[in-house]
Amino acid sequence: MKIIERTWLTFAFFLLYAPILFLVVYSFNSGEAMQGFDGFSFVHYQELWQDTRLLQIVLNTLILALASSLIATVVGTIGALAIFRTQRKLLKETLLGLNNVLLVSPDVIIGAAFLILMTALGLKLGFVTVLLAHVAFSIPIVVLMVLPKLQEMNRDLVLAAQDLGATPTEVLTKVTLPVISPGILAGFFMALTYSLDDFAVTFFVTGNGFSTLAVEVYSRARQGVSLEINALSTIMLFVAFIMVLFYYGYSQKQKGKKTKLKEKVK
Amino acid sequence: MTAEKILEFKQVALAFGETEVLKNIDLTLDSGQFYTLLGPSGSGKSTILKLISGQLQPSGGEVVFDGKVINDQPAEKRRVNTVFQNYSLFPNMNVYDNVAFGPRLKKMSETVIEEKVKEMLSLVKLSGYENREINELSGGQQQRVAIARALANDPELLLLDEPLSALDYKLRKVLQTELRTIQRRLGITFVFVTHDQEEALAMSDWIFVMNDGVIQQQGTPEDIYDEPVNHFVADFIGESNIVPGIMKDDYLVHFVGKDFESVDAGMRPNEAVEVVLRPEDLDLTTPEEGKLSVTIKNQSFRGDYYEIMAQDDDLNLWQVQVTNPAEIGARVGLTFDPEDIHIMRYNESEEDFDARLEAYEDDETPTDPSDSADKVPEVFDHE
Repeated sequence: MKIIERTWLTFAFFLLYAPILFLVVYSFNSGEAMQGFDGFSFVHYQELWQDTRLLQIVLNTLILALASSLIATVVGTIGALAIFRTQRKLLKETLLGLNNVLLVSPDVIIGAAFLILMTALGLKLGFVTVLLAHVAFSIPIVVLMVLPKLQEMNRDLVLAAQDLGATPTEVLTKVTLPVISPGILAGFFMALTYSLDDFAVTFFVTGNGFSTLAVEVYSRARQGVSLEINALSTIMLFVAFIMVLFYYGYSQKQKGKKTKLKEKVK
Repeated sequence: MTAEKILEFKQVALAFGETEVLKNIDLTLDSGQFYTLLGPSGSGKSTILKLISGQLQPSGGEVVFDGKVINDQPAEKRRVNTVFQNYSLFPNMNVYDNVAFGPRLKKMSETVIEEKVKEMLSLVKLSGYENREINELSGGQQQRVAIARALANDPELLLLDEPLSALDYKLRKVLQTELRTIQRRLGITFVFVTHDQEEALAMSDWIFVMNDGVIQQQGTPEDIYDEPVNHFVADFIGESNIVPGIMKDDYLVHFVGKDFESVDAGMRPNEAVEVVLRPEDLDLTTPEEGKLSVTIKNQSFRGDYYEIMAQDDDLNLWQVQVTNPAEIGARVGLTFDPEDIHIMRYNESEEDFDARLEAYEDDETPTDPSDSADKVPEVFDHE
């Protein structure tokens, strides 16, 4: 039984990581294609370093992701607060429903819809339109992450703060926002990854002169993927890996701190 | 009492649609007293607290604080602070920041605040806990922090909404004593809400007994225990044997088929009344000496006393508390003194009750002088 379990797990992880491993290995290929490994070299990394267009696009993608997720976090948090405070049940359910519809509807439809809207408005397709679209599809994600934190929050905390003399603004900034901050942070990072990932929506609303990584890789892939992309992917994987390790270390440390303090109390 | 009036309810009512939560409440709180609002859940006691703190606005009448009507004043403007049942400490702050929350909003200087926090934490015996996180504290410690946080705001009135109900029995006892000590030391008016009659009797200067949105009776713990005004109060506060009876004449009451001498008067002749006998006032004796003959039906050990259920010949059950065990099935006598009998008229309001008591206690012609001697001071006491 144990052997079957272990084999299955190995097989599953192999399926998940094999393509990635394949990609990473070929990034060090001295040859030009993914057919046959000709020898180890950093030549594609050098190419990448000289490809200013691709580096510019990486930068664009990061700026776009940061900007859109920041705006979406602010708007989404305000939205979650508004939905949470809605007294009428029907209205509340409707708002929440509308929010969730955006989450589950296919990217292609959202992208097409934005394209139609923006051309109708006469906006020039480029950074601004992509930003707007990314903000729009990120908001529901933030709302979805923040709302449960608000519902979990002990409602008497607000009463207690008021009781101690806090004005409505002070209640919000000193109590409500700090208490729901884990949800806000989670919403921000979810929005960030969604924006970094996005291909379909961006593809629709972007114009000449602005491209994100996903769109660029797609258009290059039509002429056969250059190993430069492999090199870039390897670097990004490495960064992601380091970040995950860092987060793991951080959360272990937090846990350790808490148990140590608990022992001290006893 | 020479203390000045701090808060007054004038015909305060609160209704949510058709449901009346409070019905024309009149009450007065003096400064420096420990008040308790006592009643079962849904009696309106917490509602009164919320009207004082400003979480709710009355739908009728006036709430007067320090001589000013404050019906519409928001909670953050009132010099009233609340200790909540579920503690409601801010989880994003440590103990120090929780206690400093109110003073910081008032823009006091950090040195003043630090002194204040230290003082408050030592008051609730949590000195040295400043840097603890809230989730590292036990329930009792959290409630202490909540008390310190409320007191750090220098309230004129501290409201406590069943603050001890989530704690275990021992800890509750300890905190009861400490709260009483803190209240005496600071001289702040406390309004304590509880459904625990034992807690109310142990802590309060003055108790308001609530039921169905109405104050059923108010008075010192002794008044309320010894002279309950109606069936509800007699039943809710302490244990009671309540039987129907007839007031044949002043100082003569008839119940369970016999006439008994009593110390109550001022009713119409042959008026139907209810008779209250507290279990601890009843004693067991031989059948010949007893005023009633009963059979022991049941007995349970309660630590400091035995609780006995006994049945008389008319099948009335009597609850008796004695220190020595009895034998189940034995035939014994039940005895009590005239002053142990408390008479309640049907539908008598508290004012009428007080007036009647005063009327006949003034031109007292006691049946037994030694009995009335310890009776009189109590009556004067509650004025």
